[in-house]
Amino acid sequence: MITWNMRHKSGEKDYFERFARWKMIIIFLVLALMLTITFAVTIGPKQIPPLDAWRIIVKNIPFLGNLVGDGSSGVEYSVNQSIVLQIRLPRIIAATIVGVALAVAGVVLQGLLRNPMADPYVIGISSGAALGASIVIGLGIGFSFLGIDAIQLMAFIGGLITVFVVYNIARTGPKVPMLTVLLAGIAITSFLSAIISFIMITLGESLHALVFWLFGSFTLSSWDNVAVAMPVIIIGLIVIVIFARQLNIMLLGDDQAQQLGVDIEKLKKIMLIVASLITAAAVSISGIIGFIGLIIPHIARILVGPDHRILVPSSALAGAIILVLCDTAARTIMEPVELPVGVFTAFFGVPFFLYLLRKKKSLIM
Amino acid sequence: MVKLNINSVDCFYGSVKVLESIVFSVEGGEFVGILGPNGSGKTTLLKTIGRILKPRVGTILLDDIDVYIMRAMEVAKNIAVVPQDTSVAFDFTALDLVLMGRNPHIGFFETETEKDLAISKKSMELTNIWNLADRKVSELSGGEKQRVIIARALAQEPKLLLLDEPTSHLDINYQIEMMDLLKELCKKKGLIILAVFHDFNLAARYCDSAILLSKGRVAAIGSLDAVLNKENIQKIFHVNAIVKQHPLTNSLYVVPLSTSKPGTMRPKALTVHVVCGGGTGVSLIRTLSEHNYRLTTGVLNVLDSDYDVVCTLGIPVVSEAPFSAITEEAYKANLNKIDNAKAVVLSNTPFGYGNLKNLEGVKASLEKGITTIVVDETPIQERDFTGGKARALYMELKDKGAIFVKNCDQVLSILKTLESKTGK
Ligand SMILES: Nc1ncnc2c1ncn2[C@@H]1O[C@H](COP(=O)(O)OP(=O)(O)OP(=O)(O)O)[C@@H](O)[C@H]1O
Ligand SMILES: [Mg+2]
Repeated sequence: MITWNMRHKSGEKDYFERFARWKMIIIFLVLALMLTITFAVTIGPKQIPPLDAWRIIVKNIPFLGNLVGDGSSGVEYSVNQSIVLQIRLPRIIAATIVGVALAVAGVVLQGLLRNPMADPYVIGISSGAALGASIVIGLGIGFSFLGIDAIQLMAFIGGLITVFVVYNIARTGPKVPMLTVLLAGIAITSFLSAIISFIMITLGESLHALVFWLFGSFTLSSWDNVAVAMPVIIIGLIVIVIFARQLNIMLLGDDQAQQLGVDIEKLKKIMLIVASLITAAAVSISGIIGFIGLIIPHIARILVGPDHRILVPSSALAGAIILVLCDTAARTIMEPVELPVGVFTAFFGVPFFLYLLRKKKSLIM
Repeated sequence: MVKLNINSVDCFYGSVKVLESIVFSVEGGEFVGILGPNGSGKTTLLKTIGRILKPRVGTILLDDIDVYIMRAMEVAKNIAVVPQDTSVAFDFTALDLVLMGRNPHIGFFETETEKDLAISKKSMELTNIWNLADRKVSELSGGEKQRVIIARALAQEPKLLLLDEPTSHLDINYQIEMMDLLKELCKKKGLIILAVFHDFNLAARYCDSAILLSKGRVAAIGSLDAVLNKENIQKIFHVNAIVKQHPLTNSLYVVPLSTSKPGTMRPKALTVHVVCGGGTGVSLIRTLSEHNYRLTTGVLNVLDSDYDVVCTLGIPVVSEAPFSAITEEAYKANLNKIDNAKAVVLSNTPFGYGNLKNLEGVKASLEKGITTIVVDETPIQERDFTGGKARALYMELKDKGAIFVKNCDQVLSILKTLESKTGK
């Protein structure tokens, strides 16, 4: 087990070395993610050689594509090409961005709420999105708007409306006490869950579709889904990285953060909006995938320390890696039967987390 | 020079008024102590000035600008706060935490520079914690944490420093070191320091002036002599205290004696006359007054250490000029007081020719049938400086039925039985 946050001696000289160390961590994780994606592309009902897979991918990137030679262009190659481009890659990219979104939203909410039990769903996004999805499935609506299907759209909107309601319930004047946000989120979640249960009972044969959605799955992921969610998640990630230093200070509590020059109410508002948007974007393409948003931030914190400037990017990359691996397991282990990916995030994530927890003894926060 | 004006500020928590009509102003280079009982609003006052709790009425002006219209960043460049409660429960290192103090000076898209690091290092060296730079804050001791927080406030390079009991966790050495440091910064850099203290002596030694709060109002403000006097301490803290100028440091020092909660005096308390001198009566008088007996004393020389205590506690005393023998006049006055007492207690006093008359007074009380208790810790021959006269009188007391005891507790129990008898 590598631990990156080795104790430093004599802070001054080493202080700026930490930035170099952070760069190394990020480069390492990016390489690990590439490797994971390569692995995920190659395995499935039809094995595809890694080199072929990369040739296919790179050829389809504008400009870069011209640099690679044509290679074998037989029938075999074109079959592989459509498997990679049409079936596996959209799914893998979807898992990547959902992993990024959930892990990063988890980091942000745990920091803002100063609560290690917080995850991206704690403020009600999941239940709102689930309600949106169950209404669509229940009423059997099937439209598509700019390539976004009805479930994705309604899940996204449902999630955001719920957060908006929670936020406004918690707000007292200009201030938003985060503990009240947490409690209001839990209350609204229970309330919406009751409604969803009611809908489920009346559903009949489409129950299966909803249950599958609720467990989380990338079965239906397409380039269209990805194209809509990806910009939201990337922009959200950038905003969060920009605010990373302020998020560190936020951990000292509202009063101290304010006295150190952080505009706390503005920060809370921006972070809640961004975390909600990226979570809603993630949920809208994959349904509700558990554990990533709770456990990845903790794993990352144990490995790289509490500073959000490294915690956010490394959580994002770790979330992507783990979720791609889990999804690969979900679609290959019991072929041709697909398992819900949430089964694997819990199955792999929790033991790994517990292992680190015991090794570290103290939970950081 | 920096200037802070507090203009008739009222503060509320919800609908509860916690500060009322607070007015004062401070200039750069002044070290101001904020004193007051628990719950009197000291922390609230600092919060209000530090732009955490907006006053409902009044304004806080820093260099003539209302802090509540300044942006958080702007305020943080000017005001640093060391909070009362410094629990920091996460994994940042001490250096990380001190560097956070640089936040107001770092641009939004920038990160800390060599200069920020140098300033942080400097303030950690000043507070003697540079050797802890790489330690996790959550693993530091209470005092070390407190010094980290103070270092962070210094790294902020403020013009106004608000400290809420900055030395509460520090040992005596660091208390003095920290206060010396703060005082020096205050004078050299022209900082305004407002600091809450529960330790009067520390406040008296370092502050230029003080504000005494009571129930959310300013009870006294100004120089330390004006604020920290016996009357104010009695009125606001309900504590009897001796306030004196220390001969060595030349600052005031306060010795608390006993609490004096109003209204605890029993209506039918016995009147007890205490005969003492030379400091032998201090613990006796303190014990009896804590048990709320009505006390009188005499005859005591002015400047006798017992006399100080008696005066501080406001106990009626028959006094004599310093270092003089008891005159007939004082003796008579003393007998008068003895007549009004239900019991007379003689402390373990040494006797010389000067105070022999006190022994005669006690004898007189015995002859009048007043319960007379003699605290006899040291054998009389060891404290008889009259060549046997005192000893003879003493023996006479024993013969005539004075009750001899060894300590204060026995005095108390005798008085208690006496009280229950007379009560019936
Ligand atoms: N957040 C709060 N909400 C409501 N009331 C409060 C709050 N904080 C303090 N109070 C009340 O306001 C009054 C003043 O409190 P404050 O903390 O200013 O006292 P203090 O002088 O600092 O006392 P201490 O010496 O114990 O630190 C107290 O009666 C307290 O109970
Ligand atoms: Mg206080």
